[in-house]
Amino acid sequence: MRTGVFHETFAAEERLWDSATQRRWMAAFALALFTLPLWGSDYMLAMACIVGIHTIATLGLNITTGNAGLISLAHGAFLGVGCYTVAWLGKLGVPFYLTLPAAGLLTAALGVLVGLPSLRVKGIYLAVATLAAHFILTFVFREWEPVTGGVPGTNIPRAQLLGFTFIGDRRNFYLIFVIAFAAAIATRNLARTHIGRAFVAVRERDFSAEILGVRLLTTKLLAFGLGAFYAGVAGGLLGYFYGAITPEYFVLTLSVFYLAAIIVGGLGTVLGSILGALFMTFVPEVLRLVAHASSQWFPGVAGLLLPMGQVVFGALIIGFLVFEPHGLAAIWARVRRAFHLWPFKT
Amino acid sequence: MASILRRKLVQSIGAAATLGPFAIGSSQAQAHKGDIVIGAAQPITGVFSFAGVAMNMGLNDYCAWRNSKGGVMGRKLRYVSEDSGFKLDQSVAIFKKIMAAEKPSFFYGESTQWVKAITQDAVAAGTVMTSSTSLASVVADPVNVPQHFVPGPTYPRLHEILMEYIAKTYGANKPRIAYVYADTEFGRDGIPGGKARAQKLGLPIVEEIVTKQAGIDVAPEVAKLRRARPDIIIFQGYILAPMPEFVRQLGEAGLKPQIMGTAWGLDRPAYDALGKLGVNLAGASMYRYGHETDSDMINQMREYLAKNRPDVKSISPFFISSWLSGMVFAAVAESCIKANKPLTLPHMKAALESMKQWDSGGIFGQLADLSGHQVPLGRIYAYDPAKQAMEPASGWIKV
Repeated sequence: MRTGVFHETFAAEERLWDSATQRRWMAAFALALFTLPLWGSDYMLAMACIVGIHTIATLGLNITTGNAGLISLAHGAFLGVGCYTVAWLGKLGVPFYLTLPAAGLLTAALGVLVGLPSLRVKGIYLAVATLAAHFILTFVFREWEPVTGGVPGTNIPRAQLLGFTFIGDRRNFYLIFVIAFAAAIATRNLARTHIGRAFVAVRERDFSAEILGVRLLTTKLLAFGLGAFYAGVAGGLLGYFYGAITPEYFVLTLSVFYLAAIIVGGLGTVLGSILGALFMTFVPEVLRLVAHASSQWFPGVAGLLLPMGQVVFGALIIGFLVFEPHGLAAIWARVRRAFHLWPFKT
Repeated sequence: MASILRRKLVQSIGAAATLGPFAIGSSQAQAHKGDIVIGAAQPITGVFSFAGVAMNMGLNDYCAWRNSKGGVMGRKLRYVSEDSGFKLDQSVAIFKKIMAAEKPSFFYGESTQWVKAITQDAVAAGTVMTSSTSLASVVADPVNVPQHFVPGPTYPRLHEILMEYIAKTYGANKPRIAYVYADTEFGRDGIPGGKARAQKLGLPIVEEIVTKQAGIDVAPEVAKLRRARPDIIIFQGYILAPMPEFVRQLGEAGLKPQIMGTAWGLDRPAYDALGKLGVNLAGASMYRYGHETDSDMINQMREYLAKNRPDVKSISPFFISSWLSGMVFAAVAESCIKANKPLTLPHMKAALESMKQWDSGGIFGQLADLSGHQVPLGRIYAYDPAKQAMEPASGWIKV
């Protein structure tokens, strides 16, 4: 905790941002974000929308895996469930403010179903059980043509509100970021409730948690359900963002992408989810741009430089696992602490 | 003092990391007025890189070749491409980035899902025409995907061409046909069209096997084929594996059916590997092969490559496909410029749809009709063991 922060009331203790400095920074960040469509390029906005969607999904997986310690390899498929739910309901004329919660709820129900094996198995065994769920769901995406459009995929009608159509990145950006912001705050609050603490207790040692009075059945299924809810909403937004989707998007590597995001970002923290999503989206992009620019200066080695971006990305992830297993969130906390204490301690 | 320096250093690194990519982007956005810009998101890395490198080279080289001939009505073609890694997020971001920075009139993408994902934005922009390597039927749709054209026949059309050839060649002796295809869009898309045409022509489909794209246990599928005893097996959706393993195990079981395929599944890696196994191989191709000498345009490609890329020994169909897309882009631009119309989507679409007898320089063996945003034309090629190459086995078939 930073120095000079004294809580005199319970309300002060309850605040998400407990100092004036934090609140000012948060306000500046929110302002910068919400004015981004006014000053950002189309490319920046497209990337920001993608990061926003990945952030929501990463927050969900961080609840299931980071907070409750239940490994899920079905997260990518959960996104697909959300996306196809929105597509199907959207074609029936259901407005987006109903399709998105419906996508979240349906995916949460599926998440609870997929989470059932977690009552008997854990660790790598649970991962394999969720892997089976992934394959079943992706099979359904390909085969249930009347709803999913099968292998060629399906179109998603654009979200509309009072005659305002969310078409183009500038408009979609607000839809995505309002939800991402709400999801981040909800997750932060969740961690401070008895449910969030029960998740952590289950993660640390489930039978000890049970002795302490935590109901394992409810807690584990709730962790899966909540994580899947976030994935469903993120999938719905993904559908609105692209306007069309095919089953090829929801491959196993998407689940691995989110697992890598929470590990790189930091398990069990909101900031970790955001930083993880940012890292996983932007670092390959930056490396690609650097490789692309370098290949123009050194055309002879272009063929080597472009694939090297992927090698460097892989090395960066391994580097994080080895040198900072607590993720980017821990690095960020250290940097902040250093600035807070400066110049008294360096 | 050291701490102040450290803080400044951290701030500078942060600022550079944040702004760097965008600075790179803007430095590349030095447009030359009057150029016709062709953007591209090409899978130069990733699982599709075997094709992406050739596609990138094909479009790049077409622009360079065309510019060496004076460009399009005196205007240069400028090619701007980036590596998409065959990832949808990345390829869509590249589209938006190049659209914002370079204002391209034409764009070449990497996949069916890319076309579907950018269609609404492309139509809303109203200034870009697109093409891609995808031969999927859903993207050859002048109504719902008005900005896009397929540089050849779609998969269903290719399978119809195959069935027409089989019916004509075998006559009254209707051969027993088996389909083996991958459970992907590339594998599945053409099958309903092929089956419908087979039914119309009275050709019996005796077995239909769907497999994963890779990592397949071939033995149980071969057992099914042994029971069905087909005269012809049509593979679809594979670039190479598992076709050689199928053929090897079929040979061990005493079966030697005619093996057929289409388009990308008949590229050199496939026919080299299957040819070594002594397979009776044939299939439908939409273009002339790169080793053929009776196409003026393919001869031009060969000359260009010999001069500028001496390390390239053979011309892949992916190279031909993207070169051809470049030719169509240029023809559309030329048509609009001649009519003194700006390069907007309605004008470009009208120009494309007016190309009913377009000369591809012999890449297609007949004048091509692009009015349906595809070219429903193809030809059967058969493997010649003596020449170790695919050679024409039929005339050009239009469906």
